[in-house]
Amino acid sequence: MRTPSRYRVAARMIAAIGVVSLVAACAGNGGTAGNGGATGGGYPDQNITFVVPFSAGGPTDTVTRLIAEPMAAKLGGKIVVQNVEGAGGTVGAGEVARAQPDGYTVLMHHIGMSTAPALYQNLGYKPLEDFEMVGLVTEVPMTVVARKDFAPATLKDLVTHVKANANKVTLANAGIGAASHLCGLLFQTAAGVKLQEVPYEGTGPALTDLVGGQVDFMCDQTTNTSGQISAGEVKAYAVTTPERVKSLPDVPTTTEAGLPQLQVSVWHGLYVPKGTPQDVVQKLSEALKTALADQKVIDQMAKLGTAPVPAESATPQAHRAKLQEQIGTWARVIADAGVKAS
Amino acid sequence: MELFDNLALGFSTALLVQNVLYCFVGVLLGTAVGVLPGIGPTATVAMLLPITFSFEPVTALIMLAGIYYGAQYGGSTTAILINLPGESSAAVTALDGHEMARQGRAGAALAAAAVGSFIAGTVATVALAVAAPPLARVALQFGPAEYFSLVLLGLIVSIALARGTALKALAMIFLGVLLGTVGQDIYTGTPRFVFDERELYGGIDFVSVAVGMFGVAEILRNLENEQTRTAIVSKVKNLWPTREDRRRIVGPILRGTGLGAALGVLPGGGHVLASFTSYAVEKRISKRQQEFGHGAIEGVAGPESANNAAAQTSFIPLLTLGLPAHPVMALMVGAFIVHGITPGPNVIVDEPELFWGLIASMWIGNVLLVLLNLPLIGMWVRMLRIPYQVLFPMIILFASIGTYSLGFNAYDVYAIVFFGILGYILIKCGCEPAPLLLGFVLGPLLEENLRRALIISRGDASVFVTRPISAVLLVLAVAALAVTVLPAIRKRREIVFSEEE
Amino acid sequence: MERRRSFPDVLAGGIFVLIGGAFVVGSLGYELGTPLRMGPGAFPLLVGAIVAALGLAIVVKGLIVGEAISFGPIPWRAVAVIVVAVLFFGFTVRGLGFVPTSAVTALLTTLASSRVRLVTALAVTAGLTVASTLIFVVGLQLRIPLLGPWLGF
Repeated sequence: MRTPSRYRVAARMIAAIGVVSLVAACAGNGGTAGNGGATGGGYPDQNITFVVPFSAGGPTDTVTRLIAEPMAAKLGGKIVVQNVEGAGGTVGAGEVARAQPDGYTVLMHHIGMSTAPALYQNLGYKPLEDFEMVGLVTEVPMTVVARKDFAPATLKDLVTHVKANANKVTLANAGIGAASHLCGLLFQTAAGVKLQEVPYEGTGPALTDLVGGQVDFMCDQTTNTSGQISAGEVKAYAVTTPERVKSLPDVPTTTEAGLPQLQVSVWHGLYVPKGTPQDVVQKLSEALKTALADQKVIDQMAKLGTAPVPAESATPQAHRAKLQEQIGTWARVIADAGVKAS
Repeated sequence: MELFDNLALGFSTALLVQNVLYCFVGVLLGTAVGVLPGIGPTATVAMLLPITFSFEPVTALIMLAGIYYGAQYGGSTTAILINLPGESSAAVTALDGHEMARQGRAGAALAAAAVGSFIAGTVATVALAVAAPPLARVALQFGPAEYFSLVLLGLIVSIALARGTALKALAMIFLGVLLGTVGQDIYTGTPRFVFDERELYGGIDFVSVAVGMFGVAEILRNLENEQTRTAIVSKVKNLWPTREDRRRIVGPILRGTGLGAALGVLPGGGHVLASFTSYAVEKRISKRQQEFGHGAIEGVAGPESANNAAAQTSFIPLLTLGLPAHPVMALMVGAFIVHGITPGPNVIVDEPELFWGLIASMWIGNVLLVLLNLPLIGMWVRMLRIPYQVLFPMIILFASIGTYSLGFNAYDVYAIVFFGILGYILIKCGCEPAPLLLGFVLGPLLEENLRRALIISRGDASVFVTRPISAVLLVLAVAALAVTVLPAIRKRREIVFSEEE
Repeated sequence: MERRRSFPDVLAGGIFVLIGGAFVVGSLGYELGTPLRMGPGAFPLLVGAIVAALGLAIVVKGLIVGEAISFGPIPWRAVAVIVVAVLFFGFTVRGLGFVPTSAVTALLTTLASSRVRLVTALAVTAGLTVASTLIFVVGLQLRIPLLGPWLGF
């Protein structure tokens, strides 16, 4: 008699775990259940996966999640965001390159799409040939920031200071191939100086040490820095875009501050694998345009210190042109700096 | 007094019906995913983040925070019951907690963990409310040199996790550090020891190591002599801690809370040190040292308290400075942004309701967790009555699925096999897995901070002794090494001496 | 003084020497750098050497005053079956999909116990497959297809 009762206990335990998870899942699904199954036939008739090749909670992830909801509403399906991290975004990108070209696997990638060919020898995919471009999403401006007690007062002073103290100044970044690393390379080229770089594992730790005064300065996206700048925890020298950023009205542009060569923004785009039907690409691009015109998206991006790209850039053609131009630019910068990831 | 006004504001926010409800959903979900091997809070928070878009910001953050500390709670349950830790802190709990379960005292272990966590959570919440901003300022004094010394101290302290010889424990620690170097080097991008497999660039996942070295190795050991193995089961003694147990856990809980609260504030990885520093302290000062590793209730109560206190205070850098200390907090930064709140030092001034509401909700969440978990203890203990022929395939299958779900990376699953076999052989040779696990977690921190400190100091190694905090930590590390190794040598001499007689 | 050899000590020490040594050799292939800017090889080289040295110490100690540990039997069947089951899971989950992979993995694993009866094994397999599908796919919304492309889906 003992054994069967033990099996009953086992069955009950498994059932209990199942029920708990189901309750949890129902609670969790409440928010999105309304979106499913609105179209009558055709694409999309199942969940679309947006692959983000970086960790959840980072700027790229945040931008993806911002546009996923309005895009899903327009497409009449459900979009799930999946983070496939690793090797500077190349693992996730490689995975999408090899995925079924049916429009249900979409890649969100940033400027790193154009630098990977120069940084990695055996990339396993070709950015221009293995993907269809859907459209650009946003160009996040970058800021040159320093610990608040760092001596130089303006960007010009900074350049003079780092030239005079090239062997003392430390320049932080969030790891090889990160936007902050690329911007730092460009700064060194523009200022004509070679500095001691201090890499971190991601933006969070780098910013922590900058606020704590352990390193001197860095260049990072407004998404990460604007909160610290407005609170006065770090000193901002310039934004790296042609125009000032609305959320940081007092920070001059690099052109105004006298270093016009330092122009860089973290542009984001959506990709699908090569061979995806043109009408699917078109549908995705239209949905992207709708999402970028959504007032809520505009407002939230503004709080991040960025803005959606104009409608004409949210197209496959504009996206392809941008990628082509950027691959060329970064190949030169990276070769000059002598950086290699593998 | 301002503090009371603030707390009143916090509780009036946190006690709103929908906030209590989602706090409960958060801790329930957290407990559920904490109990399942593999699936951790980070994945869960990432999955649920978009759902919280439609919530009020404070509700969203209350729920996400609930998942985080709820998972810390749930993780210890699995560690105690089936010796399968999902996080490094739970690996410490497994040492004595699972031993207690084998002796039929799973109920007492679970209760000690629950009560300890509750007390720690309460004290840490008060600390958060009273002193968050100044504590965050202190934490920023820690630069790369300080972290290097702190991690080194932590590694040496973790020798105490082993029952066996210090030499083997030390070898396991460094083996863990060594395995932690697999993957792409963050300084140069060079992929190390990856055999050209891009899937390994991100390194080996902690969950694979833990599932292999604890879960699989334990199963193989249990299958060694099935005929003689009596299920742990049949002799469940009392469900609740005895009066003796209750007396014994007071001190560890209080010390663990203090240690955990202090370490948790450090954004560069202090919270991972909390639970095993507490274990080492309890083992060192206990009069029953020989019981540790064989089911000492102090070895459960102290680390669990420390871990929960650290989980709470690790919100301090996030809330006061907008600086995340943990992947879950990085996600919460994302949640701030999505809700249009710029994370940073201004949150406390601009959004007092959110700041104080979140703090108050943490205490409420801890109450809910105790209410949820104490009645569940009976059910968990009954789970031990599942026949082993059902239980071990369940562990293997769930662990494989959970590990795969981390990153949809088959190499994470293959790693289970490697570490299962390696762990099994080493355990049979008298080497225990817990020190390896901690070396594995702390190794990358050790290397990163060493290299970073040297870059910042221009290659001058003296920074480690000229910076005062770092110097103090190094002195402590040397002292800890001496205290651990000297008695071992003396004991050996005694043995040799007695053998000669 | 009596010499007390300990096979487990020597084996454990040998493993440490082997792994430590392998990492040392491997790290020589990477740049070592300078103290100011340590290369990717420096830290693993140092730690690998420490592990190998500690392993050597354990071997020596094991030959002189070894710990008395009984190594015990090895459940070869369980080792083989579990290794195959987990490798199978990793190798096929993408291709076969969640349900077939879970079922085969569960079935293989139940065979690790030498006392298992076929009926029990099948019952456990069915139960675990249903439970894991409910928990992970229905409950936690894990994005693994139930049936994979190798089966024509």
